[in-house]
Amino acid sequence: MERYDLIVIGAGPAGLSAAIEAAETGMKVVVFDENKRPGGQLFKQIHKFFGSKEHKAKVRGFRIGQELLQDAEKAGVEVHLSAVVIGIFPHLGITVSKDDHIEHFKANSIIIATGASENALPFSGWTLPGVMGAGAAQTMMNLYREQPGKKILMVGSGNVGLVVTYQLLEAGCEVVGLVDVLPRIGGYGVHAAKIARTGVKFYLSHTIVKAEGDKEVTGAIIAEVDKNFKVVKGTEKHLDVDTICLAVGLTPMSNLARMAQCQMVNKGGAVPSCDEYGATSIAGIYVAGDVGGIEEASSAMIKGRIAALGAAKYCGYITEKEAAEKFVVYHTDLNKLRQGMFAPGNKEKMTCTKTREGYPLSMNLLTKGFLTEKELAVFPDCLQEVRGIHPVVECTQNIPCNPCQDICPMHCICVGEDITNLPVINHTQKCSGCGRCVANCPGQAIFLVEQGEKEDHVTIPYEFLPLPVPGEKGCGCDRSGAVVCETVIKAVKDLPANDHTVLVTLAVPPGMGNTVRFYKKEGGVI
Amino acid sequence: MRIMQHPILGNSEPRKTVKFTFDGKILTGLEGEPIAVALKENGVMIHRYTSKQHKPRGIFCAIGRCTDCVMVVNGKPNTRTCITLLKEGMDVRTQDGVIAKGEKIDGKI
Amino acid sequence: MKVTYLNRDIALGPYVPQEDDDVIICRCEEITKGEIRRAIHEGMYTMTEIKRFLRTGMGLCQGQTCTRLIKNILQNEMKRAVQPNEEPTPRAPARPLAMENYGKELVK
Repeated sequence: MERYDLIVIGAGPAGLSAAIEAAETGMKVVVFDENKRPGGQLFKQIHKFFGSKEHKAKVRGFRIGQELLQDAEKAGVEVHLSAVVIGIFPHLGITVSKDDHIEHFKANSIIIATGASENALPFSGWTLPGVMGAGAAQTMMNLYREQPGKKILMVGSGNVGLVVTYQLLEAGCEVVGLVDVLPRIGGYGVHAAKIARTGVKFYLSHTIVKAEGDKEVTGAIIAEVDKNFKVVKGTEKHLDVDTICLAVGLTPMSNLARMAQCQMVNKGGAVPSCDEYGATSIAGIYVAGDVGGIEEASSAMIKGRIAALGAAKYCGYITEKEAAEKFVVYHTDLNKLRQGMFAPGNKEKMTCTKTREGYPLSMNLLTKGFLTEKELAVFPDCLQEVRGIHPVVECTQNIPCNPCQDICPMHCICVGEDITNLPVINHTQKCSGCGRCVANCPGQAIFLVEQGEKEDHVTIPYEFLPLPVPGEKGCGCDRSGAVVCETVIKAVKDLPANDHTVLVTLAVPPGMGNTVRFYKKEGGVI
Repeated sequence: MRIMQHPILGNSEPRKTVKFTFDGKILTGLEGEPIAVALKENGVMIHRYTSKQHKPRGIFCAIGRCTDCVMVVNGKPNTRTCITLLKEGMDVRTQDGVIAKGEKIDGKI
Repeated sequence: MKVTYLNRDIALGPYVPQEDDDVIICRCEEITKGEIRRAIHEGMYTMTEIKRFLRTGMGLCQGQTCTRLIKNILQNEMKRAVQPNEEPTPRAPARPLAMENYGKELVK
């Protein structure tokens, strides 16, 4: 039987990061993944990540995945795909099912990085073809370039629901609405704003009652819920859809940890109890990534490295001191992601009313997905009458993110040491109008505005096809997606450095520069 | 519908088209794509009917975990079509319970 | 090792049918919410008992989709939290495989 220093189960961001870190200490590492391709969920993430430079902010998820694979290859990590770990035993042996046979392996340490799976939401008709997980829709369109449907209802307003809705729009699908049983949008306001400005309607405090159809989804019935989440009779609405996507949370896939007899605790599902290195109650077995608690890919990659430090220390490849030194660096990076309004375990997320700086949070953003001008006016640097071209940063919630600070060549935008600070405009600097901030903000929350006598110019981030062309006439939409004026395209800039976020400059009537935030072609279509 | 031009993923690369049969009908798909995707592109939503209630099922998780998309592929039932890749000449049949729809069993079960 | 036994002296009251009783919970075995709730009222007080009585979680997906849903139903009916070690015990093989493959061990 083949023996290794470390067996990693799962070749997603946590598993691969763990394997790379371990290989770099000299450990003999092997990774097993039941899927045909490595990378876990990373390759479906076509949006730009948040965080800071260390967290690979403003880089699209799938590119981070590609880098990770290259690093794994360079580190000489052995990866077995289509290899299902079907058994794990307390003596640190595993059984793997491959092709038409099984194999046994033993190791001095094991890292379980099996990730999480999408939750299901049962309702009348939910087994009909056409009802699928949000991740399923993502897989179909981002991996296989197949539209999941034509008219979609999204259930769930956490980051997954919001991000996948945007990706459905990019894929050319129509998203008829987004439903959430809670009274507030669960994900980032900027993700909600991206889709609200295209006209997607939010139905908060609503639930899905039924998927209509005999052989496949032909429609959906949604209804309002009261504060006890019970359906309010008489509020049923029919929506014309052929696809219903469920984005109602993730649950760690921790069965292997239980099989290995690790002590478990409840943390959004059964997860192994572990120390700061991810060491479980079974000596030599560690966890990394979502299987230890749902966070995000950026966190998973760091947790993978931390678990590898634990395993390397346990097997004697690094000293306690070396492990502790690296641990501090990684843990500091990890903690930076665990701050702000959406920090894991933040009990005030659904009730807070102010940002940390004391600005009132936009209730409209939290319930309808877009800021009203009245709410925006309390944030300095928004809605100002400023001479010359200037950036307007509509980032109104404390989330860990700061690419806007580093990307501006004129140092116009400042976030500061704590990356959950709201960005602040530095008025002593002069904006050059390059638009890099607009194109690189992962939340697409920055716009360039230039007010003039005859017309205002607004530069927006744009990620849809077909691209408009200069001179084209169309519709200017406000933050709610309503058409508010006619517009002419002044410029379209698609720079390789901006990685497919195109800068579209619109000419709008004077005074509309702080209102128009999206462009639709004549006829009101994207 | 296939997304030939995507604002982030770019244009799709030209790929080899292959023929396969679905319930005896000849359809086409791209070599190496999941059978489920090829079926979706051909407008097929129902992959199987359940044993007890004979209700239609199709793609649910698209990742090989839920087993709702299983069909009889090249005679083998319970084949997960969302992760099984299409090859020229594959025989794909709607699963009814645990056998192909319309298949006769000589009263042995 | 301290052993604790489940207190089976539980009065759940009469079974009250609900509007959503015919919604499928275990997709693979086609078991409805009403069947699960009825089983709990008949004395299946743990997830393992529900599983063995109804076959929930024993179909092709092996509980991947329904386990969390059944846990929620059980918690609602019993009005108590289900602890991680009360979920059905995972045993090898963690995923289904053909017997002929399980019997073929590659030895290097």
